[in-house]
Amino acid sequence: MTPSGISRRGALRMFGIGVLGAAGAGALGACAPSGAGSPSNGGDPKSKNFDFTSWSLNEEAAKPSIEKIIAAWEKAEKSKIRAVSYPYNEYLSQLTLKLGGGETTGAVHLDIAWLAAMAQMGKLADLGPVAGQGGYTDVALNSGVYDGKQYGLPWNTGSIGVIANSQLLEKAGIKEHPATVEEFEAALRELKGLGGGVVPYAAATKVAQLKDIFPWMQTFGCKLLDGGKVTIGDDASVDAVTWYKKLHDEKLIAADVDRFDARALFGQGKAAFYDDAIIGKGVTSAQSADKTLADAMQPMERPVLRAGDTPQALLWGGVIAIVKGKGQDAATEFALHTTTDRATTSEYFAARALPPSTTAGLAAPEVVKDTFTTEWTRKITRTATGSPFWQFAQNAQIEEAVAKQVQAVLVGRTKPKDAMRQAGEEAAALIKR
Amino acid sequence: MTSTTSTPLSAAGRPQPSAARAGHRTRRRMRKDLLRSRIAAWSAVAVIGAFGLLPVYWLLATALSTPESTFQFPPKLIPTDLTLGNFTALAENDQLIKYMVNSLVVASVTAVLSVVVATYMGYSFSKFRYRGRRSLMHLVLASQMFPQALLLVTLYAVFSSFGMLNTYTALVLSFTTFTMPLCVWMLKGIFDTIPDALLEAAAIDGASRWRTLHSIVAPLAAPGMIAAGLFAFVRGWNDFIFALTLADKEKQTLPPGLVSTYIGEFQTAWPQLMAASLVVSVPVIVAFMFLQRYLVGGMTAGSVKS
Repeated sequence: MTPSGISRRGALRMFGIGVLGAAGAGALGACAPSGAGSPSNGGDPKSKNFDFTSWSLNEEAAKPSIEKIIAAWEKAEKSKIRAVSYPYNEYLSQLTLKLGGGETTGAVHLDIAWLAAMAQMGKLADLGPVAGQGGYTDVALNSGVYDGKQYGLPWNTGSIGVIANSQLLEKAGIKEHPATVEEFEAALRELKGLGGGVVPYAAATKVAQLKDIFPWMQTFGCKLLDGGKVTIGDDASVDAVTWYKKLHDEKLIAADVDRFDARALFGQGKAAFYDDAIIGKGVTSAQSADKTLADAMQPMERPVLRAGDTPQALLWGGVIAIVKGKGQDAATEFALHTTTDRATTSEYFAARALPPSTTAGLAAPEVVKDTFTTEWTRKITRTATGSPFWQFAQNAQIEEAVAKQVQAVLVGRTKPKDAMRQAGEEAAALIKR
Repeated sequence: MTSTTSTPLSAAGRPQPSAARAGHRTRRRMRKDLLRSRIAAWSAVAVIGAFGLLPVYWLLATALSTPESTFQFPPKLIPTDLTLGNFTALAENDQLIKYMVNSLVVASVTAVLSVVVATYMGYSFSKFRYRGRRSLMHLVLASQMFPQALLLVTLYAVFSSFGMLNTYTALVLSFTTFTMPLCVWMLKGIFDTIPDALLEAAAIDGASRWRTLHSIVAPLAAPGMIAAGLFAFVRGWNDFIFALTLADKEKQTLPPGLVSTYIGEFQTAWPQLMAASLVVSVPVIVAFMFLQRYLVGGMTAGSVKS
C-alpha cells in the first residue's frame, strides 16, 4: 500500500474505468441529436421518392388500407415510398433517435400527443402554407399546431370519452345518460344493484392508464396548467381525486383496471361505462362474444359538475408531419392527399372507422350514416381539448408521476391532499428540467 | 423418538408380546412420519412446479384458444374452445420465418464470436502477467455497468457514421458488447482451474503457446466454452431493443418482429403471439436439452480453485 492509500494497481484500474467513462460520454455527446442547429435531414427536397413512417404499417387492421394508399400514390406519381414502422409503444423513442440521427426523412405519422416533442427537435417543416388548402375542421387543424406553427396535417381527429352500454343502462332502469357528476354517481349505484359482478364504471385504476383522471380533474375545475404554472394540488384536483377514491371504496369502480381490462369487462357485459377512444367501439365489440354489443355501445358526454358546464374530453388523433430534407415537397403533397382526398379518406374510414379531419370528409354519406361516429363527434370531440402537458418533452413522466400519486390514494397509502400536492410538485419539477 | 430400553425376552428368545406390539407401533409411527414427510415434500414440489409451469401452461392454453375465448371473464383455467389456427397461420407468415432466420444467424454468430474472443481474452487474463492486466479485466467488466440505453445510443451513432445500420454485422457486434464481458470472466475462471504445470509440461515438450492453447487448454475448457456460447446465444436470441433500433424490417430478429406483428396501438393478438412465442422458444429449449450437462459444469467450473 502506498502512503496515499492508493496502490499503483488500484490507480491503474481506476484510470482504466475513467477512460471508459470518458469514451462513453464523448461518444454520447457526439451522437446527441443536433436539434435546431441542424435544420434538415439532408437530401434533395425535390426528390419524388421519400419515406413514410407509421406505427400503423405494422398493424393487421390498418396495414392493408395504408399500403393501398401508398401503392396508389406511387402509381400515380411514378415515385417510390419506403414504408418504415416501429411498434406503437416504442415509436416515440425510436423516432426521436432516428430523426435526430438523420435516418428519418419524408412523411411521419405522429400521435398528436407527440407532436410537440418532435417539433422541438427542429427537423419538421412548417406546413402552414399548405394547411389552408385542406378544408380541415378547426379542432383538427389545431391538433397539428405547436408553438403557433402548423407542424402536422391532421389525418384523423377524435377524442377519448366515455362509452356506455345501453343494454345495461336499460336493465338498471336508467333512461337517459347521466349529465352531472351527482346523476352519474346515482346511476353507478343503480347499476351496482344489478349484481352479477357488474362493475358500474370500468374506470382506469392502474398507473398505465390513470392519466384518464385528468379530464375528471378538469371537470372539477382544475386547469392542470395555468400560465406555465402547474395547478395540480389545488382544491379542484383534490376534490376530483377524493371523489374517485369514494367511487373506488364503494366498489363503483374496480381496482387494477387498465384500458385492456376495461374493454374485456365491457365486452363481457360486466361494465356499463368505460373510457376509450372512438376506435374503442370496433376493438371492444370485435373481442366480445356478444355480437349485439356494437349496437348497444353509445358515446356519452362526460358528466359535468354543474349543469351548463362544458363536458371535458381529451383530444385524440393522428397527424402527418414532414421532415425537412429529402423528398420534402413530394411528401407534403402525399400528406395533403392522404388526409384530404375525399375518396381516400372515405375508404380509410370504411376500413378503420377513424373519423376524417376535413369538413367534406365528415359530411361524406358513408360517415354521416355511421351514427356512432357522428354522435361521438357531436357529443365528445366538439369540446375535447389537448393535454396542456403535451407541449413538454417530459409529458409521459408527468402523467406517470400524477398517476402514481392517484394510485397511492386509491390504495389508501396517502391522503388526496398530500398526494395532489406531491404530484403537483413533481410535475412542476419535471417541466423545469 | 425410538425406545432404547432393552426388550424383555421369552424363554425361546423371542420378544414378549407387549414388546413386539411396542416395536410394531414404533415402526408404524416411523412409516407414518416417513409418509407425512414424503407428502410434505411432494406437495412442496407440486406447488413449486405449478408456480414454474403455470405460465407455460397459460401460454400453451392461450396459443390454442380463439380470440373470443381469450378475453373470457372470469378466465377459464381449462379452455374449451380450442383451435390450431394460430399455429397454421404462423407457417404461412413469410415475414415471421424471415425474422426467425435472422435470429438464428445473428444469435449463432454472436455466440461463436463471443466465445472465440472471450477464449483468447480469458486465457490472456488467466495465464499471462503484464502491466495493466487487472485494470483491463475491470474495464471489461465495467462496460456491463453502463445502462443499455446509453450503449445503444452510442452504438447507433457509431454504426450510423460507418454506414453499418440495418446489417447483420451491426447486430452481431452490438450483441457482443453485452455478451462478451461475462463470457470473458467466465472463461478466465475456468482457465484459472487448469494447472500451470500442465502448460509448463507442454512447453517442455516443445509445444508453442498457440499449440498449448488450442490442443491442451481448449479441450479441457470445452464445457465452459459451450456454456459461455449458450449464454451468448440466448442473450442474442432474446434481445429486443438493440435489434429494434439497429436493424430495419429486413434484418430484424424475432423479439421486435413479434412485437411489431402482434402488439398494436389498440389490440394485442394474444393467441397468435402466444403460439409464435411457443414456436420460437423451441430452438432455445432444444439447445438447452443437448447442452445442459455442459452448462452446469461450465458455470461452476471456475467457482472452486484446487
